[in-house]
Amino acid sequence: MSSPTSSPPGWKAALRSHEFILLAVLMAEWVSFYFAGTHHTSHGTFGFGTADAQADILRHTVEIGLLALVMTPIILTGGIDLSVGSVMCFSEIVFGKLWRDAHMPIPIAATGALLTGAAAGGLNALLITWLRLPPLIVTLGTYSIFRGLAEAVTRGADVFAEFPASFTFLGEKSWLGVPVQVYVFVVVAIAVWLLVHRTTWGRSFRAIGYAPEGTRFAGIPVERRLALAYVLAGTVAALAGLIYASRLNQVTAADGTGYELAAITAVVLGGTSIFGGSGTVHGTLLGWVAVAVLSEGLAYANLPRELGGMLTGVLLILALSASILPKVLSNWRARRHTGTSTSQPPPPAST
Amino acid sequence: MKRNLMLLLAAGLALVACSKSDSNAPSGGGDKKPVIAMLPKNKANAYFISCSKGAQDAATALGVDLRFDGPTKTDPSMQTQIVEGWINQGVDAIAVAAEDKASLSTALKKAQSKGIKVLSYDADVLPDARTFFVNQATPEGIANTLVDEAARIMDGKGEFAIITASLVAANQNVWIAKIKERLAKYPNLKLVTDPLPSNDDKDQAQQQAATIMNAHPDLKLIMAICTPGVPGAAEAVKQAGKVGKVHVIGLGLPNENKDYVHAGVTDSVVLWDTGKLGFLTVQVANALVKGTLKAGDKEFKVGDTTYKIDGDNILLGEPTIFNKANIDKYDF
Repeated sequence: MSSPTSSPPGWKAALRSHEFILLAVLMAEWVSFYFAGTHHTSHGTFGFGTADAQADILRHTVEIGLLALVMTPIILTGGIDLSVGSVMCFSEIVFGKLWRDAHMPIPIAATGALLTGAAAGGLNALLITWLRLPPLIVTLGTYSIFRGLAEAVTRGADVFAEFPASFTFLGEKSWLGVPVQVYVFVVVAIAVWLLVHRTTWGRSFRAIGYAPEGTRFAGIPVERRLALAYVLAGTVAALAGLIYASRLNQVTAADGTGYELAAITAVVLGGTSIFGGSGTVHGTLLGWVAVAVLSEGLAYANLPRELGGMLTGVLLILALSASILPKVLSNWRARRHTGTSTSQPPPPAST
Repeated sequence: MKRNLMLLLAAGLALVACSKSDSNAPSGGGDKKPVIAMLPKNKANAYFISCSKGAQDAATALGVDLRFDGPTKTDPSMQTQIVEGWINQGVDAIAVAAEDKASLSTALKKAQSKGIKVLSYDADVLPDARTFFVNQATPEGIANTLVDEAARIMDGKGEFAIITASLVAANQNVWIAKIKERLAKYPNLKLVTDPLPSNDDKDQAQQQAATIMNAHPDLKLIMAICTPGVPGAAEAVKQAGKVGKVHVIGLGLPNENKDYVHAGVTDSVVLWDTGKLGFLTVQVANALVKGTLKAGDKEFKVGDTTYKIDGDNILLGEPTIFNKANIDKYDF
């Protein structure tokens, strides 16, 4: 938690950090839903407070969590990837085609899907670094291209289903009470965290976001760093697709619709600056869980699940302003106490 | 800093307070009142809204707690998610209209393993994932009603054409086969051409209807067997100025066809009563929970009405014919 606040001692800074605020919000959500959404009956406890419910919340949102994880380095560089949901879907379609129509074994088909994702990410990276097009425009284009490909291949109607149990265990089974895909998620989360926070690569992501030209002049291969971020996103999007396919035991051309925005929401809620340069992977994780618990908890509390979208928006604005508020307040107080002389720039010279 | 925490605390408390106030209503009585959860394909769709009204009527009459929830668009993953939520909440029965058989069946089997009664309505799941399917209409029921209605309007003789969804649409192809079987009963009804595809699109249905009227000037009736096809055909007849000369019937929603029915363009539309479908579904769910209905039963009684059970299909009965006389009573 290295928030760039200057003055107070370490623990105070930590309390004031965005991650801490988010953690507090998450606890508040969790406690609220625990009390509102759990009921005890003569034949057991049901609802939000059960281990099954908690496991299901994770199972239902692991795909978005994966996308949010790999969206973090991209946004750190000041970029964005709107294509992850479409890439996820198209990779699934490739998987379905290879398995069902080309009669490939599951491991080969899955590898094909992951390679598709990597190639899709590579295409994004190529267009962004080579043609120097803005990521927003490039990925808006590939967002349509890959969704369109998925729809064209299936004609929007073909559905791949009834995968073998050797594949569906990934999305449907649990191990030691924890859904199988959560283990996959933990591995990816640790890898991305290490990449962003413990390697020079990670430092260069932030540097690119902060000052792309400066980073280039400092001798850092900006293009290669960017390419890594986008290829990683494409590959993990394909992985998310495989998990999604095995969880639902089906693949359609509508899979992953809107997932890119859910992932971006988690990243931004997690405190990563949309302009790049600052942010953390653990922040993203907290942002992801906060949204997941909110949207699923509502149903357990018998509240309309449609409130989820609105409350996520409120949460986003509240959490982000709460972390800026103390700074704004202290600036304002400092200005009032010390008068205008110290904290304000000298008045412009007028003739 | 202090302000900051206070703000958080206030926000947290507000959240608890607002969700608490809503929670004590339904979940409090969970032990006594059976909870029946009902999943539509799309809860914003007029078809399912009218289904839910019938379901609520039944729930009120039976004193059960009905939870009607579903996606607001085509979304099989959301359907699964909602069902899994209900399993965790320990509801007593789950009734589903499946967008996708395979994915929902996995979740439903999990529900069954936890002792929850499972049934399907409107769109079935895999047979081993539910006890009963409340079947709104058999292919014979639909085909026979349509052909009989056509014969009545055409006085048992003349040319007619069929507009279908697409040439590969599974439901429609079954109906077409049954329609042809029924036509044996009316030797003077002549189907002039193979069914014309509209791809479930009103404009294409309208074009097909216009073309077939030009090609067969003696055509007496157009039968559209997909919902956008009926208003499409009616529009073509109206624009060709052949109202009364070429009749239109079909499988359609009352609301989409009211204007044409009142204008005399469309004679009647055929569909099941969706309110009754919702009503019967909740009745069956409740009977399963109470143990008064079991797999293998041959009939199911609600008040004075007896519903036939064919294997594990509970039959809603013959479709309803909506015409000038009754169409305004329905809103879906």
